[in-house]
Amino acid sequence: MTKESEGHRIDLENVTQEFHARGTTSGFMTAVDGVSFSLTSEAAQVVSLVGQSGSGKSTIARIILGLQKPSSGSVTYDGNDIYRLSRSASNDYRRQVQPVFQDPYAIFNPVYRVDRVLWKAAHKFGVAKNRAAAEERIEESLSAVRLDPAQVLGRYPHQLSGGQRQRIMLARVHLLRPSFIIADEPVSMLDAQVRKSFLDILLDFGEKYRMTTLFITHDLSTVSYLGGEMMVITNGKVVEQGAVRTVMADPSHPYTRLLLDSVPRPDPDQRWTDRITVDDKGDQILVDQP
Amino acid sequence: MTDRVSVPDDILQISDLTVRYSSRPGTPAAVDGVDLAVRRGEILGVAGESGSGKSTLAVALLRLLKRPGRVTGGSILFRPRDSAEVDLLRVGDKTLRGLRWRNLAYLPQGSMNSLNPVARIRDQFADVIVEHAPQRRGELAELVPRLLGTVGLPARVGGMYPHELSGGMRQRVLMAICIALEPDLIIADEPTTALDVTIQRVILQTLSDLRNDFGVTLILISHDMGVHAQLADRVAVMYEGRIVEVGDTRQIFKDPQDPYTRALIESIPTIEERKAS
Repeated sequence: MTKESEGHRIDLENVTQEFHARGTTSGFMTAVDGVSFSLTSEAAQVVSLVGQSGSGKSTIARIILGLQKPSSGSVTYDGNDIYRLSRSASNDYRRQVQPVFQDPYAIFNPVYRVDRVLWKAAHKFGVAKNRAAAEERIEESLSAVRLDPAQVLGRYPHQLSGGQRQRIMLARVHLLRPSFIIADEPVSMLDAQVRKSFLDILLDFGEKYRMTTLFITHDLSTVSYLGGEMMVITNGKVVEQGAVRTVMADPSHPYTRLLLDSVPRPDPDQRWTDRITVDDKGDQILVDQP
Repeated sequence: MTDRVSVPDDILQISDLTVRYSSRPGTPAAVDGVDLAVRRGEILGVAGESGSGKSTLAVALLRLLKRPGRVTGGSILFRPRDSAEVDLLRVGDKTLRGLRWRNLAYLPQGSMNSLNPVARIRDQFADVIVEHAPQRRGELAELVPRLLGTVGLPARVGGMYPHELSGGMRQRVLMAICIALEPDLIIADEPTTALDVTIQRVILQTLSDLRNDFGVTLILISHDMGVHAQLADRVAVMYEGRIVEVGDTRQIFKDPQDPYTRALIESIPTIEERKAS
């Protein structure tokens, strides 16, 4: 295993993903179109990937997690193609890159107790020498996400709220201390207050344990709250990237400007004066001049 | 903002409306003695956090309240264009059926669950029209494409099933069904929640067109103060089942009178850099 201090990196190079699609002229639709970017754990940071539904952002998450081999292009981890790793390197990758998904309901098997996701992870990645030590680590991780171990251990998924379940996934992250977190819309099903506490824990972990997070969302206020870097994706292409502050203050791509403009401003003196139209597939947006 | 007629012509007059979900003593009412007048042709925003009673208010207006919820007091006077004033809480089921869609329409939250998954879009229009305005059955072939066009959808959507449409398109189909029988009043409950910002903007734009082009009165329920700032003529702010403040949108945002309204406006997460611009 590489030394922690050196840091790890994930590089996407010219990644393209096509899917079969009926009704299109070519028989294919391009979900991800020649995307390249790098994530490094050397300087822990949050990188938000922003786009609307159908833009290809979740496909990118699946590709990085090794769940969807791209049609072309490469994803490398410390220089090695993640789809050709040896078994031990693959295990290391799967420990170092941890997902947090959108739906706090779908992720749990309803017939098992919720702590199973923690026990399984502890066992698979050997985080502790014996059961007692593992239990101690699990309790510690639950406390780190502000859950009371006595309240959640031994419970079934339906006995916990959506916010509690999402925090269990964060506890799993805490247990494994990966270098990268791939978070796909983790807060979109949570209400405002629970959302804020989730984001605070995530930011806290990033700093404390030097984790780099790829945060996938369509919500610009969440991106603004997280800070760090952002990339804007539309129709499978990354059209703009940079520091959140810079991009939001001075967007260079028209699509980014449109996104920022479309957040309803809470000021009746700054109403929209132009109109937008969407084509009938719902994926092309045009601005009509007033 | 458009000039308003000097004598307010109220389409809806809610007086002392109280709704409870439990009859146990000590449990608070979900809607607690609400008085509210809605002016004909306006867009009235109803704001408040989750649990403030705004959706309960909407379903009570529509007489769609489910048990154990029940109205324990008050009246809701509705004055449609072409018929006599009625108290929505006291009309019989038959009269109520006559009012629904023709005079009073509902645009629900979560368009995902509001369309029949096994019927083509045009047949869902037919359901509403045949049931509530059977004399217009003959116009269907011409009416459906025109209504879809009004909300910016192509005619071929009529032949599609709900799963073939995106969330934003489904929401627009519901809007088209809402206006099919030219109602006087539409109650829209969080019509843009869970949609992408650009699609949300298209929906808001379309709602504004409905008012401007057809003179529909709109009650717009939303927790998003940005939506109210963009669209509403007046805003009513709800908190713990009561309306704490009603006023012109500009006054609500620029000069809020109630401390809760002030807190609500201050708590809006902004994209920080915009403030500087």
